[in-house]
Amino acid sequence: MNPVLKGKITILAVVALAVGYANPQISSQSIETDIPIFDGIWNGGFSVRPVNGENVPWGENNFPVLNERALAYQEVWEEIMAPKYDCQPASSPAIQYDPYHMKVTQWPDRVLLRYEKDDQLRTVWLDGRKPKSTDFGVQGFSVGHYENGSLYVTTTHFVFDVAGFDDYNGIPSSSQKKVTERYWLEEGELRMTLTIEDSMFLREPTSYTTRWLPAREGYQLQAYDCDPEAARASVRFYPSKYK
Amino acid sequence: MSIRRWVAAAVTAGFAILVAEAIAHHSSAPFYNPENRVEFEGTVTRWVFRNPHAFLFVNVAGGNDEVIEWQVELGAPVSIRRAGWSPDTLQVGQRVKVSGQRSRAEGSYGVCCVRMTKPDGSPIIEGGRVEEAPARR
Repeated sequence: MNPVLKGKITILAVVALAVGYANPQISSQSIETDIPIFDGIWNGGFSVRPVNGENVPWGENNFPVLNERALAYQEVWEEIMAPKYDCQPASSPAIQYDPYHMKVTQWPDRVLLRYEKDDQLRTVWLDGRKPKSTDFGVQGFSVGHYENGSLYVTTTHFVFDVAGFDDYNGIPSSSQKKVTERYWLEEGELRMTLTIEDSMFLREPTSYTTRWLPAREGYQLQAYDCDPEAARASVRFYPSKYK
Repeated sequence: MSIRRWVAAAVTAGFAILVAEAIAHHSSAPFYNPENRVEFEGTVTRWVFRNPHAFLFVNVAGGNDEVIEWQVELGAPVSIRRAGWSPDTLQVGQRVKVSGQRSRAEGSYGVCCVRMTKPDGSPIIEGGRVEEAPARR
């Protein structure tokens, strides 16, 4: 190869690498995509929506149809089996409905969802990457994309959780759990529709829709720092059916 | 809106917030019986201001010179901090009056969803609320 041409190619390659390192957040989506701005802290607290419980957000109209396996788990279930009494954090689809604040940070290649509850951070990858076999975790592995003013998120690779459906109904979730979320802005609110499917326990997918309001001016997320002693303190008050 | 209605609305809102705070981590129903209410006055021995729930331990004089330690469950510090509560709100040795729902396990001394005041009936925090509404079932 011509030495001059070889030199130019080398320089171009170095420049390309340098640009790549300098812009590590290059998104897989074009800048023409209609990207809504969710950046900021959002209030999901008591004043914004009904507080979660046995019938919220899973009520008469959207309570999941359980298979026999799930019903058998419910049969042996006791509240104190929930790993939250040892500070295991809540996960999808419960953490989105816990009555706390959430901070959203949008970078070109990812969206960061930081939950005040349990100090949890979810990363939604927008760069087209796929989960590896080692990417299982409490919060799973999330990928997403923007489309028509919404953020669509798909999360898989959850670990088994004996209380992984919600905090109140003794329904477990498996590594087959798949959670899809759509976030959009409407009337100054951040809204989300979440759908969960888990063939290990649910006969069909089910969904809920909720909202967050902008946090008050100057609000900052507080550290949760779940304390194992405080988390377990009420367990001894539970009248267990097992001796 | 009349003053009476304003007051009713404010009180309702305040109660709703306290209920929600009490159950933000877990429902009270599996642990405490809303039909079994207790009331006592005692001395603070320990104040645990940590998430997911703050706990207060209170020594109460019983019969036959015995002392019973009650465990009082409150809301999540991350929430009640916004209402002015802090690790310094209560001091060891301080006297408090408590009423609320008793724990379900036989022979246990726990209480939640409480009304709590100083012995003279005034709020623990100056100008603060004293009562939590009945918990969700």
